[in-house]
Amino acid sequence: MAAAGSVRAALQVAEVLETVVSCCLGPEGRQVLCTKPTGEVLLSRDGGRLLKALHLEHPIARMMVACVSSHLRKTGDGAKTFIIFLCHLLRELHAITDKEKDSFFSENIQTHGRHWKKCCQWKFISQALLTFQTQILDYVMDRYLGRHFLSIFSSSTKERPLCRSSLEMLLGAYFCGRVGRNNHNFVSQLMCDYFFKCTACESGFEEVLELVDDCFVELKVGVTGLPVSDSRIIAGLVLPRDFSVYCPADGDIRIVIVIETIQPLFSTFGSEFILNSEAQFQTSQFWITERTKAIMKYLQKQNVKLLLSTVKQPDLVIYCAGLNGISVVECLSSEELSLIQRVTGLAPFVVPQASSQYELSNTAMVKFCKPFILRSKRYVHLGLISTCSFTPHCIVLCGPVQGLVEQHEVALHGAFKMLRQLFKDLDLNYVTQASDQNCTSSPLIYKNSRESNDLPEIVNGSIQRPYQDTVVKNKDELAKTQTYLKAYSNLVVPSVELETNILCSTPTVTLTDTYQTDATLRCFSPGKARIMDDHEPFIESNSANSTTENTRREISYENLQVTKNARKGSVLPVRHKSLEMCTSQSYCFSSVPAGCVLPVGGNFEILLHYYLLSYAKKCQQSEETMVSMIIANALLGVPKILYKSKKGNYSFPQIYIRALHALQTNQPLISNQTGLESVAGKYQLLTSVLQCLRNILTIDSVINIKRQPQEIYDQDSEEEL
Amino acid sequence: MSRLEAKKPSFCRSEPLTSERVRATLSVLKGIVTSCYGPAGRLKQLHNGLGGSVCTTSQSAALLANLPVTHPILKILTTSVQNHVSCFSDGGLFTAILCCNLVENVQRIGLTPTTVIKLNKQLLNLCTSYLKSEACGCRIPVNFSSTQILLCLVRSILTSKPACMLTTKEVDHISTLILRAFLLIIPENAQDHIILGKSIIVPLKHQRVIDSTVLPGILIEISEVQLMKILPIKKSDSFKVALFCVSLSGDLSDTGEGNVVVSYGVSLENAVLDQLLNLGRQLASDHVDLVLCQKVIHPSLKQLLRTHHVIAVDRVGVAVMEPLSKVTGTRPIGSLDSISPSSYGSVKELCTAKFGFKHFFHLIPNETTVCSLLLCNRNDTAWDELKLTCQTALHALQLTIKEPCVLLGGGCTETHLAAYIRHKTRSEPEGILRDDGCTQTELQLIAEAFCSALESLAGSLEHDGGEILTDGKYGHFWSVQADSPSVVNWPDLLSRCGCGLYSSQEELSWSFLRSARLPFVPQTCLPCEATDSAGNLTLDCFTAKLSGLQVAVETANLILDLSYVIEDKN
Repeated sequence: MAAAGSVRAALQVAEVLETVVSCCLGPEGRQVLCTKPTGEVLLSRDGGRLLKALHLEHPIARMMVACVSSHLRKTGDGAKTFIIFLCHLLRELHAITDKEKDSFFSENIQTHGRHWKKCCQWKFISQALLTFQTQILDYVMDRYLGRHFLSIFSSSTKERPLCRSSLEMLLGAYFCGRVGRNNHNFVSQLMCDYFFKCTACESGFEEVLELVDDCFVELKVGVTGLPVSDSRIIAGLVLPRDFSVYCPADGDIRIVIVIETIQPLFSTFGSEFILNSEAQFQTSQFWITERTKAIMKYLQKQNVKLLLSTVKQPDLVIYCAGLNGISVVECLSSEELSLIQRVTGLAPFVVPQASSQYELSNTAMVKFCKPFILRSKRYVHLGLISTCSFTPHCIVLCGPVQGLVEQHEVALHGAFKMLRQLFKDLDLNYVTQASDQNCTSSPLIYKNSRESNDLPEIVNGSIQRPYQDTVVKNKDELAKTQTYLKAYSNLVVPSVELETNILCSTPTVTLTDTYQTDATLRCFSPGKARIMDDHEPFIESNSANSTTENTRREISYENLQVTKNARKGSVLPVRHKSLEMCTSQSYCFSSVPAGCVLPVGGNFEILLHYYLLSYAKKCQQSEETMVSMIIANALLGVPKILYKSKKGNYSFPQIYIRALHALQTNQPLISNQTGLESVAGKYQLLTSVLQCLRNILTIDSVINIKRQPQEIYDQDSEEEL
Repeated sequence: MSRLEAKKPSFCRSEPLTSERVRATLSVLKGIVTSCYGPAGRLKQLHNGLGGSVCTTSQSAALLANLPVTHPILKILTTSVQNHVSCFSDGGLFTAILCCNLVENVQRIGLTPTTVIKLNKQLLNLCTSYLKSEACGCRIPVNFSSTQILLCLVRSILTSKPACMLTTKEVDHISTLILRAFLLIIPENAQDHIILGKSIIVPLKHQRVIDSTVLPGILIEISEVQLMKILPIKKSDSFKVALFCVSLSGDLSDTGEGNVVVSYGVSLENAVLDQLLNLGRQLASDHVDLVLCQKVIHPSLKQLLRTHHVIAVDRVGVAVMEPLSKVTGTRPIGSLDSISPSSYGSVKELCTAKFGFKHFFHLIPNETTVCSLLLCNRNDTAWDELKLTCQTALHALQLTIKEPCVLLGGGCTETHLAAYIRHKTRSEPEGILRDDGCTQTELQLIAEAFCSALESLAGSLEHDGGEILTDGKYGHFWSVQADSPSVVNWPDLLSRCGCGLYSSQEELSWSFLRSARLPFVPQTCLPCEATDSAGNLTLDCFTAKLSGLQVAVETANLILDLSYVIEDKN
């Protein structure tokens, strides 16, 4: 049976889903209790999880849920916003078609024909959506929205140091939407502490995030029956099992990993062991015992104190280990093994064939290994010494019920996923259009306007430098920077401003000979004043490109030029860098750089709404205008729900009007919210929703079949090749 | 081919707490737990109509484990209580009742969940910081040089479980036993951190409670037939013990994944048996006196050991392996040939004993941190209840060692805490509100709900229609028998407060708990002499009660925060 797949049906479905998810959205959102068929009870505010728990039957609903989960796999965030945004888009579309109905379908045609025609119209709209997504959206994102972006990094240098307070704000906002109301501060603080404790050095945080995201299940310990506030971070790794043998040891402990039983067996897979006599059996058993003992003795000689095994070891091995003072932990899961290997870089120990005398190579050190008791259950606590930038720590998550602990686990895992996404650059599709225009004209304008801003900063920066530094500078270095600059000018589109740079530096080179003589007595304060003077001609020379004035000044302030010259030595490298940044921006123009954030509370939505509207006004093509308008209006759905419960000055219309006013008058947006959210995540969400909407629009009918659709094999294509 | 099964769509309900059915089921649960609470609590009999054993109890651990709960909200509540009990053993009913009371009271107010949850959290913080502070008026530091307070704590736990069916004399007997068992597991020469031993509860049903006893060391139950085989034990100062964790039954060990081909006429059983007998000879030549095995010992080996005057006891089970190796100082042996002499241990004395109609093999170690508590009670269900109670009491004592203080019991902590919160929210509301965006009126409303939840929790200790009073000085709990003349001289009717700390000799301006009272400053800082002089106090475990309070408020917040329930009907 075929059912018409229409916007109306999709809207109905989306509206039902919206009512469910909107109750959990934002800081005011509440919890949803899910029960599993097994009787387990689960608490959740996670949109993806809720949608899955509903077990929807409606085909369009199932498609939406599939779209949401594929989006979640990518970003780990935004399921609720997805549904709300989709619902608003469908609503807008529906409203438009209701209006246009008369004009489109005034002629009296048959129902079937009308249905097809309608589908054609949807197809048309979905085409428009595609063009919007590929062209307009990225253009708007880049040209207009870009200037509002904040960065999570405290400075934009290569090391990208993380700013703790902004990370806290980001995580605070994330957990606001994920965990119960009185726990989000605690959980986000916990996560923040955890992240900084695990990150040994500033630069390695990407590696840490990757590792934590991959192995999160092994890095957390859930404990039920204790208040949430008992959750804490523990240094080292906690394995959820007890020692098979525990021999206390002090100091650094040598460990080995084994992935097979140490005791040799009678026969291995695929082989046959033929027993001819009882004595043979006894001797082989004797040999096995002696061999096991020898291996354990060997391990003890090599000073190994802990044996980690992925398999269950026979009693004999455990006994021998105990005799030799070696602690044993058995039955490690493959995930735990891979985590330990990633942290320590330790390869499994291969049982030597002959009684070997050589040094044992595959060992690692741990700081401590001891039993750890949590809620009268025993765990193994290992102080692994890390060889990568991840310093191993575990999170102990407590909660009165399992459902709550699980919720916190899922939220923390999601947060790591979100951070991982945040620190990636996101490329936009905008390059094609931008490159041909921008390379010729716009970079220049862009740079010039930028330069005038940057210059005072740089001069200031040089003033802040200690005076002594500049004294050390000599002619050679200066010449070097000059050649750099020259080389640079070849690379970049030759601009007016660069030439002036060179012009500025040429006279200084000639004067450096006097620098040696005059450099004798120079106190700091007059130098500072002079620099301020020099600052002026510098800009003048930039704008007017007049070398005459520059030289005149040099003559009149001959002494001063030297200081300026000396300073230039320190100025230029900085400038050099800033120039590089400029150019790199003009080439990789269309990308959202890693770590871009915006304040929460619908800031992204309102901004995009504003710019899309203003774009739509400028646009000539009718469908572009229409699609932009639809999306712009639909974007407001999320902030509307966020501010639903707020009154007075913080109600949505008030916020909206204030934001629009600020944007029109070019003032900075003032947000009363303290959190931050990732721009890339929002952008990806938007594109995912548009994709989903296109899917919905292009389907004209749903056919119910009795069996699963057959999988299409690609054997044929191989033959053809 | 994969099997596909269509999933039924889930059932989704909004605002679950507003539904009448949920309220009704909540109040039924509340009725069940409230009626069980305290020494005068009523017992519940849980039975299956089809037959099987009947459980008579008033303890949350037994009650909630057997209570079939279907509604998800109740499930949250009961699992949270059960989790608390599995962590702390004590305070389960306290947590359940407080949680029910809070949910019920807050619903009546009708504020938005956001404000309620925020303020509840603030009030909880107020409570916990007060209870943890030195100035707390309902906390007694434990002096380990006398057993008085510890004994009171154990006795309070025993009396609060009426399903144990103990008389006053029996309560005294059992509480001294428990305390002795606890003292036995504390190592004598403790270093910087103490590792407690273990007390093993040995069941002895259908005996008089008075026959219960505590013995140092380990009791291993043996059948009468086994006992006959055991030779008379020779007198000695020390006995050498070998403890096997590997099976001595002569079965073949794991031969690997490949095939083992045995030629005709070769008997592996004989080969293994030979090995076992060799082992027996080695044990005998090492002068081992006692061989214990977790699994089965081959009869031939037993016979061999007997001829060498070695006592062999098998099938001791995995549960006692750890205490056994601890007591005897042996290393569990996992090898059949060549045993290292260092694996042997020793015990001071060996004897057989008969308690009731059971025979035991008694190992008395040199230095003991393991003891056996032989627990007797008249019938199965009362014994089960008594065993649970003993475990609770032992656990409470362990927790008290970690956090050396106890809370006043008998409802006094609750009423005192309520008085303190009332006073605090009136006198310095700004300090509690900070910048949460809540108004003072909202705080007053929630504080009233919170306090009355605490007070009605204390009030549920009274099951016989009596009246409950509180005083205007300490804020303690006083109960009056039912049918007492209405307006009388209170000191004549009252004797001591709930916890037994104060007597009615003082003029304390009593008033009914349910009536409206003016907030007052409850006296903080217990006077030292008060705690020393009072002989028979009712006390509660500090850690368990504090955590119970936190869990109750957190769970109530969780339940109040629910906006949807999605039930998977598959």
